[in-house]
Amino acid sequence: MGEDDVPLDDKAKRMRDLLSSFYSPDHPNSTSMSPKATSRFATLDTINTTSFDADQYMNLLVQKSNLEGLLQRHVEMAAEIKNLDTDLQMLVYENYNKFVSATDTIKRMNNNIVGMETNMEQLLEKIMSVQSRSDGVNTSLFEKREHIEKLHRTRNLLRKVQFIYDLPARLAKCIKSEAYADAVKYYTGAMPIFKAYGDSSFQECKRASEEAVAIIIKALQGKVFSDSESIQARAEAVMLLKQLDFPVNNLKVQLFKKLEEFLVDLHLESKEIRHSSSDLGGIPLSPSSCAHEASIREFAEAVRAYRVIFPDSEQQLFRLAKSLATKHFEATQQYIKKQLASADLVGMLRVTWTHVLLMDEVLPEAGLRDFTFEAAHVAIKQYVASRFSHLLLDFSGTLVKVHDNQKGVIEEEYPLQVALEISKNALVQGSMDALLDFRRLLDENLEVLSALTDLIIDWVQEGFQDFFRKLNDQFLVLSGKKYSANQDLIFGEGDKVLPGLVLLLAQLSVFIEQNAITRISEEISSLSGGGSRGHDNGPAFIPAEICRIFQSAGEELLQHYISLKTRKILILLKKRFTTPNWVKHKEPREVHMFIDLLLQELDTILNEVKQILPEGLHRKHRRTDSNGSNTSSRSNPLRDDKLVRSNTQKARSQLLESHLAKLFKQKMEIFTKVEHTQESVVTAIIKLFLKSLQEFVRLQTFNRSGFQQIQLDIHFLKTTLKDTAEDEAAVDFLLDEVIVAAAERCLDPIPLESAILDRLTQAKLAKNSEQSPAS
Amino acid sequence: MQGGSTGIGYGLKYQARCIADVKADTDHTSFLTGTLSLKEENEVHLIRLSSAGTELICEGLFSHPNEIWDLASCPFDQRIFSTVFSSGETYGAAIWQIPELYGQLNSPQLEKIAALDAHSSKIKCTLWWPTGRHDKLVSIDEQNLFLWSFDTSKKNAQVQSQESAGVLHSLSGGAWDPHDYNALALTCESSVQLWDLRTMKKTNSIDHPHVRNLDYNVKRKFMLVTAEDESGIHIWDLRMLKFPVLELPGHAHWTWTVKCNPEYEDLILSAGTDSAVNLWRASPPSGDKPSSESFDSPNRPVDPLLNSYSDYEDSVYGLAWSYREPWIFASLSYDGRVVVESTKPHLPRK
Repeated sequence: MGEDDVPLDDKAKRMRDLLSSFYSPDHPNSTSMSPKATSRFATLDTINTTSFDADQYMNLLVQKSNLEGLLQRHVEMAAEIKNLDTDLQMLVYENYNKFVSATDTIKRMNNNIVGMETNMEQLLEKIMSVQSRSDGVNTSLFEKREHIEKLHRTRNLLRKVQFIYDLPARLAKCIKSEAYADAVKYYTGAMPIFKAYGDSSFQECKRASEEAVAIIIKALQGKVFSDSESIQARAEAVMLLKQLDFPVNNLKVQLFKKLEEFLVDLHLESKEIRHSSSDLGGIPLSPSSCAHEASIREFAEAVRAYRVIFPDSEQQLFRLAKSLATKHFEATQQYIKKQLASADLVGMLRVTWTHVLLMDEVLPEAGLRDFTFEAAHVAIKQYVASRFSHLLLDFSGTLVKVHDNQKGVIEEEYPLQVALEISKNALVQGSMDALLDFRRLLDENLEVLSALTDLIIDWVQEGFQDFFRKLNDQFLVLSGKKYSANQDLIFGEGDKVLPGLVLLLAQLSVFIEQNAITRISEEISSLSGGGSRGHDNGPAFIPAEICRIFQSAGEELLQHYISLKTRKILILLKKRFTTPNWVKHKEPREVHMFIDLLLQELDTILNEVKQILPEGLHRKHRRTDSNGSNTSSRSNPLRDDKLVRSNTQKARSQLLESHLAKLFKQKMEIFTKVEHTQESVVTAIIKLFLKSLQEFVRLQTFNRSGFQQIQLDIHFLKTTLKDTAEDEAAVDFLLDEVIVAAAERCLDPIPLESAILDRLTQAKLAKNSEQSPAS
Repeated sequence: MQGGSTGIGYGLKYQARCIADVKADTDHTSFLTGTLSLKEENEVHLIRLSSAGTELICEGLFSHPNEIWDLASCPFDQRIFSTVFSSGETYGAAIWQIPELYGQLNSPQLEKIAALDAHSSKIKCTLWWPTGRHDKLVSIDEQNLFLWSFDTSKKNAQVQSQESAGVLHSLSGGAWDPHDYNALALTCESSVQLWDLRTMKKTNSIDHPHVRNLDYNVKRKFMLVTAEDESGIHIWDLRMLKFPVLELPGHAHWTWTVKCNPEYEDLILSAGTDSAVNLWRASPPSGDKPSSESFDSPNRPVDPLLNSYSDYEDSVYGLAWSYREPWIFASLSYDGRVVVESTKPHLPRK
């Protein structure tokens, strides 16, 4: 630090030199202190330091203290000095003793050392003589010792030779006593010698012992293969064989093959068991399966042994165990394909599981459980899927049967009703059976299954969802509404579809929507045990959606039925209106034949509808009560009006228009929504028919007779349709409309007198009633 | 019934079946209608939509000798149109010209330019060459198809070629392909027949019975729309005739007629005997698979039925899109009421 400050002016440097000479040179730090600092720090405490300056101290003391203080300080200091003096004296006395004793000790040491030199010389001499003596002894004994050692070596060699000569005999003895381990030990001991000298001196010996060893090997091999031996013994045997340089791998392969063969045999067996168990009516734990289990246990034992014997063969064994499980599942899958009852499936799974557990004990590292879980996962999923496809197949089979029955002439009174009941039952029963099966799966206390419970429930729900969707598709295909991509279905084109079947499907859809779905969803919700755990993953069974689908399907199918029927009637109508020349029509004599045909058609419709659809009485009342009566009362006078005067003037026709306008306030009533009741359907068909009739009439031009014919036909229809149609007002209105249309399209619209109309109608009715009992 | 009328009405004196857009009139949106009255004197009305679009004005009223069963306007001359008429047992078809000075005359007479008088059975309809100045005309009767060459200046029409479809088929109508002027689709009892006018031969047919009316999609090639008695509306791809591409529910009773919009490719209008006009948007699936998913409306993102105009008091037989303002259509119900509606509120925003 001082050096750093070198570049200072001379004055400062001199000052510092002075200071450093004043203070002791040992304290360069203190020298560097500025004088100001020294004076400042020169307090009264410096008395105890090395750099104590008495004069400075005195000055300081005088400066700082007053007289009293000084006096007191004086007294104190005197006392302190006295104390220090006594302390010094004490120190001198104490250390004096020590000095004295040290002096004594040194004196004594000097005395002792004097005699030592001579003693040491004597000792050296003696040791020298001992050494020379011992050398003498050594040289005299050397020769003998050499000899003895030579003799000893020879003896060892001889003993070895003796051992080798004795080896065959010894081995034979070992074979006799089955002490193969010793034999092997001996043989391996002799091996190096045989290797070195086997071709020359010990040829005989070598051959003999090799023969013996061959016997041993054979014996050992036998031991390895014999199942009766303990595993330990067999493992030992393998070890010995290994020591004898025997190709153990061959053995290993052979043994493994044996295991594999066992597995194959086992599965043949297991299949038989399946058969017998299913023959027994699905009781899986028959005595034969117990035997089967025993054999598996045996197999497991064998595997365990093999594993102990060949510890490096684990991978192979794992494979083997896995193949066992796979085989089980393959068999299961085959059975699943053959529409297996769930009890059987459970049985099979149980057997599989017990086997797997057995194997798992033996080979815990094989991960057989996980493997099984996975396989079971797949198998059960497959099972659920196949169950549903079977369900669909069964059900459509029922429908096909219905279809075929319809095709053929059936004498039954209510074929459709019967068919409906059958298919209803088939559906519900089928679904319930399926659910029962699944429930059985779920109730089973098997570890594999309980792990999959949630998944199974999900699958079942999905399955139902899918099933109903497919069913809907199938309905549409069956009804010819949907063009199925694969026309290999029994039902070909849309025109061949039987209306009865369509009606049946419609009603079935309603049944599904209103009844079956609720029942199934109840069952399903009871499956999941009230817990919602099945619902949070994946799309589950959504009854509302299915209901919606089937509701619309039901409506569509019903509509389709109506349109099918209407199409038939339309053909009738078309023929009726295109064949005759209406402008040259002859005077009407009776109600036209087509009315008969029409009524006949209506009868068949009625018959079909009555079998399947429920009655809906309440609607009829309401309709007639509310507006029916006043419509008919309005339309009737109009018709009379119109018929009498329509051919007169323009003004009249304008009046008619306004009337028509008023009338058509009701027009929305004509095409109302069709309901699933007998009346509603029949009425809808009649309405459509009448509307078509009106349209056909509008396309023609009539002469007076033609018009009158139409009038007569309608009059007749009026009396007959009254009973069948539900919406009387609308039907009446439409009938009037037909007559109005005919009048409009007539060149000379003069109506028949009502008396004649009545007479002809009566005649027709009489004729009909005459015919019907006759036929 | 609900909502009240949104359209502009116009009343004919008598019942009527046919209405046609006057395509050649590029200045106004106008329509031609003809009445169907057995006993009174029939009329042809030329109706024009006022420029504000709020009123239908009768531009011309001409008497027509017989009741009119079909009416078609010439695509290149607004004053020329053709009618199919009958009265009692007589029938005929003729090309008419509206007299030039009809504004001044009190009761102007239509000038009959040419009579299409080669037919031997009941004539069903006449079809003009779809667009442009081609003086070709097709007339269809129950069994035969006639191709006429029509000369405006000489005012006569000659049969260019003719072919019989066979007695059994009983043709009922047809449509001219706007994409291929040699192709024609005819409706008959049991099928839709596709004809080539060059060879005058049937090239193909769709076996689909009871087709009442059909129309080509003007914007999309190979798309044909048919209307049936019961089963509604079907859309066909002419390259795949086996199954319809799309099916629409149609009407509560017969679907009488369908018309494709000349501008908006998916817009279809249908009229039916249930006294309603339905506006559909039918986008056929782009894939080849014939889809009948129109049944399962839950699967469809949109309802194909855009609107149902039900404010009619009788069956609607006449229907025509305006070519000038393609969002406007005119409909004609049997009681003689013309209603012009704008479909604008239902059109997709562009």
